[in-house]
Amino acid sequence: MRLRPWSRRRAREAELDAELRSHLEMAVQDRVERGETLEEAEAAVRREFGNAGLIKEVTREMWGWMWLEQILQDVRYGARFLRRAPGFTSVAVLTLALGIGANTAIFSVVDAVLLRALPYRDADRLVTLWEDNRSGNHPRNVTSAANFLELQSQAKSFEEMAAFFDMRLNLTGAGEPVAVPIQVGTTNLFTVLGANAMLGRTFTAEDGEPGHGNVIVLSYGFWQRQFGGARDVIGKTVALDGANVTIIGVMPADFKWFIKENSRSGQPPELWVPTRLRQARGRYLSSVGRLKPGVTLAEAQAELNTIMSRLGQEQPEYNANMGVTLVGVREQLAGEIKTPLLVLLGAVAFVLLIACANVANLMLARAASRSKEIAIRAALGAGGGRIIRQLLTESLLLSLMGGALGVGLAMWGVAALVALSPPNLIGSEQVGVSLPVLGFTLGVSILTGVVFGLLPALEASRTDANEALKETGRGNTRSRRSRRARAAFVVVQIALALVLLVGAGLMVRSFTRLVAVDPGFDPKNLLTLRVQLPARKYKEDPKVVNFYRQATEQLASLPGVRSVSLANYLPFYTGLGARTAFTIEGQPAPAPDKRPSTDVRVTDENYFRTLGIPVLQGRTFTQQEATEDRHTIVISEALARKYFPGENPLGKRIAVTMMENPPMNEIIGVVADVKYDKLDAEAYPMVYWTLPQLTYSEMTLVVRTEGDPLALAAPARRVIQSIDPAQPVADLRTMESWVGESVARARFGTLLLTVFACIALLLASVGIYGVTAYTVTQRTHEIGIRVALGAQASDVLRLIVGHGMRLALIGVAVGVGGALLLTRVLGTLLFGVSPTDLATFISVASVLMLVTFLACYMPARRATKVDPMLALRSE
Amino acid sequence: MPKKTPYRNRIELLQGTLDLLILQTLQWGPQHGYGISQAIRVNSGEVLQVDTGSLYPALHRLERQKAISAEWKISENNQQVKVYRLTANGKKQLANERSRWEQLSEAIGHALNPQKKESEV
Repeated sequence: MRLRPWSRRRAREAELDAELRSHLEMAVQDRVERGETLEEAEAAVRREFGNAGLIKEVTREMWGWMWLEQILQDVRYGARFLRRAPGFTSVAVLTLALGIGANTAIFSVVDAVLLRALPYRDADRLVTLWEDNRSGNHPRNVTSAANFLELQSQAKSFEEMAAFFDMRLNLTGAGEPVAVPIQVGTTNLFTVLGANAMLGRTFTAEDGEPGHGNVIVLSYGFWQRQFGGARDVIGKTVALDGANVTIIGVMPADFKWFIKENSRSGQPPELWVPTRLRQARGRYLSSVGRLKPGVTLAEAQAELNTIMSRLGQEQPEYNANMGVTLVGVREQLAGEIKTPLLVLLGAVAFVLLIACANVANLMLARAASRSKEIAIRAALGAGGGRIIRQLLTESLLLSLMGGALGVGLAMWGVAALVALSPPNLIGSEQVGVSLPVLGFTLGVSILTGVVFGLLPALEASRTDANEALKETGRGNTRSRRSRRARAAFVVVQIALALVLLVGAGLMVRSFTRLVAVDPGFDPKNLLTLRVQLPARKYKEDPKVVNFYRQATEQLASLPGVRSVSLANYLPFYTGLGARTAFTIEGQPAPAPDKRPSTDVRVTDENYFRTLGIPVLQGRTFTQQEATEDRHTIVISEALARKYFPGENPLGKRIAVTMMENPPMNEIIGVVADVKYDKLDAEAYPMVYWTLPQLTYSEMTLVVRTEGDPLALAAPARRVIQSIDPAQPVADLRTMESWVGESVARARFGTLLLTVFACIALLLASVGIYGVTAYTVTQRTHEIGIRVALGAQASDVLRLIVGHGMRLALIGVAVGVGGALLLTRVLGTLLFGVSPTDLATFISVASVLMLVTFLACYMPARRATKVDPMLALRSE
Repeated sequence: MPKKTPYRNRIELLQGTLDLLILQTLQWGPQHGYGISQAIRVNSGEVLQVDTGSLYPALHRLERQKAISAEWKISENNQQVKVYRLTANGKKQLANERSRWEQLSEAIGHALNPQKKESEV
């Protein structure tokens, strides 16, 4: 029973007072009885007795729960102090809330993306597996079924290996026909991942066998949306591309398995379909393996490389110069977002440090104005440790209030982050202010409180009671030391702000370069719509060709349409395109790993006109060539430049390996390069075919409109459904939105970094303003004397602003050094800008100097208005 | 700024001895804090001056250890005083501390005069 009610406590305090009082009285009485006067006796007893306050405190400590009592006392006292200074408190709390809130928001994303446990058993043993295409300089290439089966049967480092690929299929039999992103996987996929169904079951080995009924497993989200979360879906039959499939399971809500890299649909799968791999050489598979316990990634990698180089010797035309790349599954999933996320985490840490420096400066200024109060407390028996504890309690109170407000800001911030973030960048449903995030915030708040509170507290505890009580507020060692500390804080703030601003400046420059890149076509006023014809219904190629011929002609006859075309993959399509090797007629066959390679697009006679791709040489397809195979092709400038340097490619013939025994095709034209994948990548060589030459059942139609493309969305959908009412339409959107999406990641990162840099600049300028304003008040007396001695307003301005600018210069110098070291981490995120870009550094430094100047100028102006008589009398 | 020795250190220095002296004083009957300090002073031939800043923390600590108990009484001069008395627990503690003290002082005596010890043997 160490904790007693407060009433007991109060009674005990009163008892202690009475006990000590009776002691004093008895001592005085004794002395009076020995013949001293009452006054003499009382004085002597007090001298003997010593510091009553301290005696009480030490005695109270014997009661055993002093620490709690003191903390509560400190908290009460601190709260009272903060209430008495509402301006100081709200500025400090707001500043900290900004810093802590930004950290909490970014950390909640870091937690969801990089830290949280993955929904797979022993996830640290899971690796994705790619072919390392060394001659193509593509370390994460998709693998072929033949190679996957070889690796699977020969590798000893793995418990099990599964292969999968994404695609889209049309789902009918459950409401409106929809094109659904699906994942086709070997039947052991869920076993390898160690994930079980929430409802029903996942695949068994028999599910992939021919003769067994087709089955599918639903994702939780799709089950909710398409089937309303009905538990009786198990056993139900729906149609995928016209084939009946039975639903056998539903995965849990937290399960997701989507490897964005090399995904052909570019979208998380809504359902899973089992497959059985056959020996085939086309490369299209992604793979995942579970390492045996104790086997390291490097060991497994070495083993697979050995197997792969043996395959390369056995089948050089197919596997020469190939290796295997293994990637830990967490690394793979975090992928492209990891670096920007860590950069942002660093940025918000900087913002918080600036906020800390601001609040520390505020505290120093407060401590100076409280030095008398603190001196009195020291004189009344508060030890140095006790005063430090008291002031630290105050700063912790501030930081915890800032943290609480910061969590509120972060909740709002996370919602904004998720809303603004490009699709599929972060698993939005999983990002939130969770328990670990709150733990992080609490930790950061406490750390923050200590960081900004310790120096002012130490400073205040050094108060010499005699000096402080005598002092008139000027010229003593204490305020000199505080002044130096304040100057140091300003320098640190400016340096940190400069680093952030340089980072943001580089990102902005990089982004403006990126969006200024000419994509090679005109993306304005273009509408896209993807159509995937079910293979079962459109078995023969002419049927497919005929459907698309009808579709393009009818779309072209819509009012407001200029022209219509189509392609298997339009520019900035998010999925995996087609790339393959080719041979040039009349040239000796190069070594297998040195064969020329090209991307392939399948299209029609209107493509280049519709997209606005300039024709550089020769001609494009005729309508005859687009309706029947005449073995003619159009190539891109990059292909011509790379493989026909200094020659006229027209009339030359090449064979593109998109099929067994590829025919020789004649080059009839050369068109300008188009950025098909990314604006920041060089255009890859490209071959254009027509649909009859290589028939794809999945094509994206593209419509050049007079006005707003979306106005034609509904009529365009009606056209498709008038040809085939069961045919769903997907990706009905503008071409500009595709281009925008391709730079969305860069835009998002740039936006966030810029926001944080602006917060940093704001906080730093508030800090500089505050310190200068404080200096002006401190030096009013001195300024008064200077003015009385004949100093002009300009002299006073020069004095005050000069001081601030000197600090700013030092801060900029330190910041430039830091930025030179730190912007290197941005290297991979920048496009067309060097991390040490001189123009950025100069403009950022100038902006910062200008802001500092303004922040100093405003208080300095006030200093010029000092009335010497008033200033001198104020002492 | 002159360096002050915190009170706490002084208590710790004296702790064992002061506790012993307090318990010994209370063996002769209940007494208040002032009375205890006077008794120690007188009984030590005016040598030991008990510091108030050590006495009250020690009393409150002993009370918490249940070696002594306290109650409020009216003194001869009609004052409210807090009077401490030895508990059964305290008596045991006194016996223990006495014998420890005797061992200690004997040992210190030997350590300070080793030759004498040799010559006696």
